[in-house]
Amino acid sequence: MHPQGVAAFPHYYVGINSLTELATKDDRVCVLNITGGESRTVTPVSHVYSGGNIVCGTAPGRSGSKMKTSAGNIPVYDNVAEAVDDGQEFNVVVVYLPPSGVRDGVLEAVRVNPNLTKIVILTEKVPVRDARIIRAIGQMHGIDIFGGNCLGLADAHNHVRIGGALGGSAPEESLLPGSVAIYSNSGNFTTTIAVYLATGGWGTTVSFSSGKDVYIHYAAQEWTHAFHNDDRSKSAVMYIEPGGYYEHDLEFDKPVVACIVGRWKAKLTKACGHAGAIAGTGDNANAKEEWFMEKFGVDAIFTPENPVCSEKGAVVVNISHIPEAMTAVMAKRGAKPDFDSVGDLSLKCWFSNAQGIDLPDHLNPPVVEAMSPYDVQIDGLGEQVGTVMPRQTMKDASGASMMDPKTQVTKIHGTSVLDASTHSFEENLVQSLIREYPDENGAALANVALNTFVNQSGKVGLAAADASRKAGNSPNTALSAAVAMVGPKLVEQARTVTSALVELFKKSGLEDPSDVGFDFSAQLEAADASVFLTDYSGRCNVAMLEAIENRNAKSVFIDFLKALEQKGGGKLSCSVLVAAITTHLAWRALMRKRLSITTVSNMPWHFRVFSTLIGSAASAENQERHSFCGVANKELMSSWSFTETAHLALLGNRPNEEALYAFSVLLGLIITNGPGTISAQGAKGAVSADGPEVPERIQVNKGYIGFLTHTGYAHGGNGFEAIAFLLDRFRDSGLSSPGDSDHGMDLAAMATDYAKEYKAYKTKAKAVGNLSYAKIPCVNHPVFKGEDVNYDPREVFVNDLFKERGSYNVFHEFYHELVNALFKTGVSRNVYCVNVDAVIAVILLKMLWQPYANGEISDSTMESAAFTTFLFGRMIGSAAEIDDHTNRGRNMDTRTPASRCSYVS
Amino acid sequence: MNITGMRHGAKLLDIVGFPRSEVLGPEASDQEIKGLIERCGEVFVKPIFKGGVGKKGKSGLLGRAKDLSGAMKEKERLYFAEHFHNNTLSKAEGVTFEGAVPAACEVYFSITDNTEFRAPTITITHHGGVDIEELPPEKITSIPFDPLTGLKGFVISNALKRLGAPSELISPLVQNLPKLWDLYHNYGMTTLELNPIRMMPNKKGRLVPVACDFKCGFDDDDPNVARLGLPADLDTSSYSDFEQEVNSLRTYQGQSDVFVINEAGTISAMTFGGGANALVTELLGDAATISSDFGGNPPYAKMHDISRIVYKYWLKQTNVLFIIGGKANNTDIYETFRAMADALRDHFNTHGPQPLYVVVGRGGPNLIRGMGYMQDTLDSLGLPYQMFGFDSAMSEVVNFAQAADEWMKNGGREIVAKKMGIVE
Repeated sequence: MHPQGVAAFPHYYVGINSLTELATKDDRVCVLNITGGESRTVTPVSHVYSGGNIVCGTAPGRSGSKMKTSAGNIPVYDNVAEAVDDGQEFNVVVVYLPPSGVRDGVLEAVRVNPNLTKIVILTEKVPVRDARIIRAIGQMHGIDIFGGNCLGLADAHNHVRIGGALGGSAPEESLLPGSVAIYSNSGNFTTTIAVYLATGGWGTTVSFSSGKDVYIHYAAQEWTHAFHNDDRSKSAVMYIEPGGYYEHDLEFDKPVVACIVGRWKAKLTKACGHAGAIAGTGDNANAKEEWFMEKFGVDAIFTPENPVCSEKGAVVVNISHIPEAMTAVMAKRGAKPDFDSVGDLSLKCWFSNAQGIDLPDHLNPPVVEAMSPYDVQIDGLGEQVGTVMPRQTMKDASGASMMDPKTQVTKIHGTSVLDASTHSFEENLVQSLIREYPDENGAALANVALNTFVNQSGKVGLAAADASRKAGNSPNTALSAAVAMVGPKLVEQARTVTSALVELFKKSGLEDPSDVGFDFSAQLEAADASVFLTDYSGRCNVAMLEAIENRNAKSVFIDFLKALEQKGGGKLSCSVLVAAITTHLAWRALMRKRLSITTVSNMPWHFRVFSTLIGSAASAENQERHSFCGVANKELMSSWSFTETAHLALLGNRPNEEALYAFSVLLGLIITNGPGTISAQGAKGAVSADGPEVPERIQVNKGYIGFLTHTGYAHGGNGFEAIAFLLDRFRDSGLSSPGDSDHGMDLAAMATDYAKEYKAYKTKAKAVGNLSYAKIPCVNHPVFKGEDVNYDPREVFVNDLFKERGSYNVFHEFYHELVNALFKTGVSRNVYCVNVDAVIAVILLKMLWQPYANGEISDSTMESAAFTTFLFGRMIGSAAEIDDHTNRGRNMDTRTPASRCSYVS
Repeated sequence: MNITGMRHGAKLLDIVGFPRSEVLGPEASDQEIKGLIERCGEVFVKPIFKGGVGKKGKSGLLGRAKDLSGAMKEKERLYFAEHFHNNTLSKAEGVTFEGAVPAACEVYFSITDNTEFRAPTITITHHGGVDIEELPPEKITSIPFDPLTGLKGFVISNALKRLGAPSELISPLVQNLPKLWDLYHNYGMTTLELNPIRMMPNKKGRLVPVACDFKCGFDDDDPNVARLGLPADLDTSSYSDFEQEVNSLRTYQGQSDVFVINEAGTISAMTFGGGANALVTELLGDAATISSDFGGNPPYAKMHDISRIVYKYWLKQTNVLFIIGGKANNTDIYETFRAMADALRDHFNTHGPQPLYVVVGRGGPNLIRGMGYMQDTLDSLGLPYQMFGFDSAMSEVVNFAQAADEWMKNGGREIVAKKMGIVE
């Protein structure tokens, strides 16, 4: 049995007798899952619009926190019971829970709060099974339920909005008080209809988005009854989709314009859009058109060309015809619109570009001034340089990297690390910041900029790094000492110059900064020379300009600076030239608003860290004022790629073509494993703690220190465990050249011998209860397993890359033999994959084998080289995370709430 | 997802112990079929269609045989039978052999969620085995019941009494039909129909209801369906590769509903909102490649994925990329436009540029930032475009997109290609 509600509904409970009661000033609201993604933006707007009608919200684990709004803070509780116990009084519950939680959320709210009169369910995709139960519970307790998948209720007269986002982020703009009530199966169209009505001079009383699930809990019949009893509502618009018989028996005492859509849905065999909008033969759009035409006594659909209507109403099939139909129906009753038209529904083109194509007139409408406030915003677009990304909590989230859990391949700015591994180190460094790869000219300029500051001779940072190394620290610890010296003051001028260049050229029409024919005379005239020129007395700038010329690299910005210097007033410094190069690299993406101005202004800083980190990997004894690891600074600037320089810093020589390729691939593969990796977490945490909401105070170099402190011996990516394993296998093999397939060793036999040895070891270990026995590094993978023969697609990709080049690697081949031997000897139940960490190890070991075999480097040097190589590659991914977090993150957003932390005794 | 027929229906009925006819699948051996005929005297041979396919009997797609050779002939006839129903052509994938059930009368029974009563409702008649739409109202009844208590025997009893059903039917049906509520409610069904249930006398002469055909529809949003462990491809015949790929992104935040309208269409509409979906698809007609609803404020990553998939399948043949929706309440226009624009750029990067005309009509939060981002991207790709404010009638914007499509079809595509410096 249900409680007795409105007498007109004897067979079921309805509590609302008039639309005036739908959304009132007295309603007090509790929002379930108030901090959820949708509620977070919608609820504060509703609260402010309604004069503060939300008394509290719930979010498990967030008890004690508050949702801030300009109409006061809303307290958050773990659950409804806690809110009630705390004395919160409310009669409305708004549900933003995920679908699986909706039923239980409703049951709990009903259980603990006997004063509930309304429940508004916003959630989409609530299972029908749960909707059945929710309906029954509402009926049993005498509660009106709205939705599911509705967008809530709004009363323009009462200035109250409950539940969803009717009217969007600026409800006053669309919800103009008037005399028309809206009932709509579509949430979006509820607002759109209100906007359209205003163009005919009609305002609204109550707007109600019913939802269009199979169960519409508060449906057309109940709404129609309440509409009749609302003296403010002189007429109504009903927007109806196919499916269900909710409207079949409606009888109207007041005029109604019914918009029936979805004739095409008769073709559908499954729901598309609204779950309940799938119809049989009796409740399709055609049938519903007939229902309403019969109610209104009309014999055709209303169109502007054939405006068929009666005093009772009109049926339209196009929402744009609603205002005209409403005016026509009301005119028959002698009623006029509520106010003068607000705009009209004619085509208004706000943005247009034919791209120089001679389009016919009808496809070339004039661009008109947008309605307020959009006109001002469009004007503002012209002023804005670069993008401004919306800020959000970036804990464990990234706009730079993403790992595909299926393939385990991570992408950086949309490029998989596999593809990135076919690009050079310098190209990947640039891409990490500008989100796209530089062209050949850009790469040449980047090499000059990066090599200019690589020599650390005489720098206090190098001394600190060396001291740190001597104290026994790991390479990351030592390098972070050097990076700590690259503070904001060091790059202050470069950042200022970057901003000045952007300001000078942003409206110049410069599209391609390589276009050296570009006329910059106006910028030359306008430039404040003191920003760009100093009393610099060194020779580095000359070397840099020579290097640019030697590489035949072109840049408008470099030419501009040279012209400025020629005018007199000072000299260009290398920092200024680097700033010009980074601005060049970023320019196209900046103008397309793919980058923020923050990124561009920080780029010289990132570049300086790149150079410092590579430069400081070589000890002071290998660096002199004019040469780095035995190579003249000038030569590095003029003809070395930064990949080659990194190889030089690490191994003391210029790589041949094959070694260079292998080194690039290696660095590319270890760029990133997504935002969840510990190195990324370190970098992001460092940014987060500085407060990215004021991006100017982010210490970029500290971000790198965060990355460096969050790497260590246990990192699989550094490949050291696998190297140690391979060294044990090959140390006494007499192997001279790992790249020569004619090595004379029987790898299959070596693998089988080891597999047997391992099997015996494993059996023994298990027998004595040692379950943490040593595992063979870099074989098997938690995702790529279970088949008869397993492959890690990343390893396969790299293996194919090298095979295509005819490049042989004995260690890699040994690993392939090993997984087969492990299967054949019964160690594994199927053929394990060789995983991607093995690839890193075998490439590194191949690079280092000869000096190791010659006794030139020790095991510890090998370890250090492996670790440092990993740092070089991961620096790329970290740069992307630091920049991304700076642009998108919120202050302190990587912290974990205390409620989610646990104590372990 | 829908199921028709006893091949899977039998397994579902077994879960709740509801008596049903003997069924063999297409893999049945001659011996098994022969045995079935010997036991039942006759077999019905029915084609197996994926999904919900009705009116098979009326279309002559029901074979019956009293011996093995007859059964095999019917098998040959029906194994790959084609059936046009509800605007859809279905192709059989095998047959079932179902043992005949001798019966005094046939019962129709269904459970569904009725929108008139807004409650689970049974529909029942003891004049079953025919199209129930053809029965006069006094011979069939629909009774809602409380989902909290479930379908109880008294609901069945009252319904049958109301129909004046013979008393010997009532007890066996009261005993057995409530079992179906368990199946319906606990495994995510939205409709369940048994027609006919043949009332077979047992050895003692007492009637036993035996289900001889089965239909059900499942709620795609109900995780309980997964408990049945049904094969993944049960109802995929009507899902294209494109639809399946987009459906894999289905989460509760943000819609990702798509339906292929015309594989040779030339306007690809990224539509936001159920209402816009209805209006736009209706007006575009067969010019559209797909019907879509991507509203509900999808996050950037999801919108990027959706766009990537749409472009992958449809962009090549598309003349007009049409981004359309009303004035969004909550969907962030900047985020969704940024995702669509970035995906378009990525698509051009990986698949090469192509001539395309872009028409946009939209409103909502962060509108101008979103349009600005789209503008910059389209400018960099060299694509012609127009973007309309939300105070333009949506139908007029649709008309504009159609006009752009016509122009592209009549030489415009070549002009755009030439301007972009590409040879198609």
